[in-house]
Amino acid sequence: MSAPVSPGLRSGSLPLLVALMTLLAGLSLAGLTGVQTLAEGWSSAARNATTIEIPSDTPQLEDRTHTLVQTLHRTAEVTNVRELSPQQVQTLLAPWLGQVSSSGHLPGLSLPVVLIVAHTGTPDLGAVVHEALPEAVVEEDRRWGERLNGLGSSLVACAWLAVSLIAAIAVLSVGMTVRRSVMAQRKAVEIVHFLGAGDLTISSRIAGRAALLSLAGGLTGLLFLSPVITMLARKLAPFSHEATPPLPTNTWTDMFASWWATLHVLPRMLLEELGALPLIAACLGWMTAQTVVLVWLRRLP
Amino acid sequence: MIRLLNVSMMPPGVGQPVLRNLTLTVPKGEFRWLLGPSGAGKSSLLRLLTLETRPSAGQMDLLGVSVSQASRSTLRNLRRRIGFVPQDYRLIGEWTVFDNVALPLRLRGASERDTRREAFAVLEWLDVVHLADKRPGTLSGGEQQRAAIARALIGRPELLLADEPTNALEDAQARRLLSTFQELVDMGTTVIVATHNEALVREAPAKSIDLRDGSLADPAPQDEPALHRSGTL
Repeated sequence: MSAPVSPGLRSGSLPLLVALMTLLAGLSLAGLTGVQTLAEGWSSAARNATTIEIPSDTPQLEDRTHTLVQTLHRTAEVTNVRELSPQQVQTLLAPWLGQVSSSGHLPGLSLPVVLIVAHTGTPDLGAVVHEALPEAVVEEDRRWGERLNGLGSSLVACAWLAVSLIAAIAVLSVGMTVRRSVMAQRKAVEIVHFLGAGDLTISSRIAGRAALLSLAGGLTGLLFLSPVITMLARKLAPFSHEATPPLPTNTWTDMFASWWATLHVLPRMLLEELGALPLIAACLGWMTAQTVVLVWLRRLP
Repeated sequence: MIRLLNVSMMPPGVGQPVLRNLTLTVPKGEFRWLLGPSGAGKSSLLRLLTLETRPSAGQMDLLGVSVSQASRSTLRNLRRRIGFVPQDYRLIGEWTVFDNVALPLRLRGASERDTRREAFAVLEWLDVVHLADKRPGTLSGGEQQRAAIARALIGRPELLLADEPTNALEDAQARRLLSTFQELVDMGTTVIVATHNEALVREAPAKSIDLRDGSLADPAPQDEPALHRSGTL
């Protein structure tokens, strides 16, 4: 241990506070990443798909539908054309029309033929479809993509706001702890000051301790966070393209292996952000303590 | 050298000055008793000289530095050249006696080897070397006072200030401390000792700064050459 030239920091509940803040910040970041991933996925899927509805009373429905599908297949940027079966259409419309009979027909209502066209870029399918089959209705899913994008952006903004608020509360907590500590050791701080200790000598010792305690708190928070994140990753797995490892079995080794595998499914960016949290906590702790102590020392001549 | 010119001091929230138009000079390497009844301004003058506060008015030069206009870093460096024995010892309770005594040298950036040598030498001289690893709170008043004296003496300050430094000492220790002050004066240190102990002053007569109600009781003798006296100092 280095020779003391200034009083240290009386930590109080600083590590616990930082651990809680790290836990909250980690959850917010995980939420942020989840929202970003889902929004991007939805938006991308909607942007690259077009729905075509052909009314059931269209003359020569089957032949003309077949011709339209052939035309679409030949169109540049179209990657796939899929015709939904009547059962799939019924399932899609069930929220509006209710369950239909087992025969697949609604009394007094005939279902349209629905084509889902997957494509890259933004081909002008409206013109192609209207030329081949003017009765068809083209619904550009891009609009939904834009709406989903907007929703995703606002959720991301909310998550960032939450992270910023947590950081602000953490800074405030560290600042108050440091100030309380300095006030409690006021006499000792004044003694070293009047013996000729520089302001930075005094503040650096306290800030160094604050950084160390914040780092410890950050690591503890990360430790508490990992099972929560793993559990959330499992809950969100159905919305993800990534394969989720099997649920843990009875032995500790299997549980650890499952946890480890789930961590690998998480986005690399999120893992890097979570890993940086303790370091960010330490930096915030150091800067806050330096500022608080230096400002406090200015009152001494 | 210490030079005060029309120095006044009015602490915040106090209606009247605790020091008024104080003018005095203490040349380098001289000893002064700081005398006066309670409330005369002795502690306030010591607070000024230890740079715990700045004068409200007037000019104060300390060891060649104009305190009134000095920057924060200049004051910090100046404080390292001053040794102070406070009446309430002002030892840091969480540290050992050794760490308290070693502090001034560590602040000056001395090597740990030199710091240990100097600190143990001064602790040994003051008969408290066996207390080096103890916390101040476990010591008697006299032992704490000797630890505070050790901290003030370490590193041979250019200006030594002491507030009732013999209060908690036995007679033999007090006499020994006075002879130390004499040695420091001989080496060029300026020493100012505040005391109520008239017997001590009689035993070691020297020039004095006599305060009454924040002013010099008799301003004229301050600038006179030292008188030849029979005492030690």
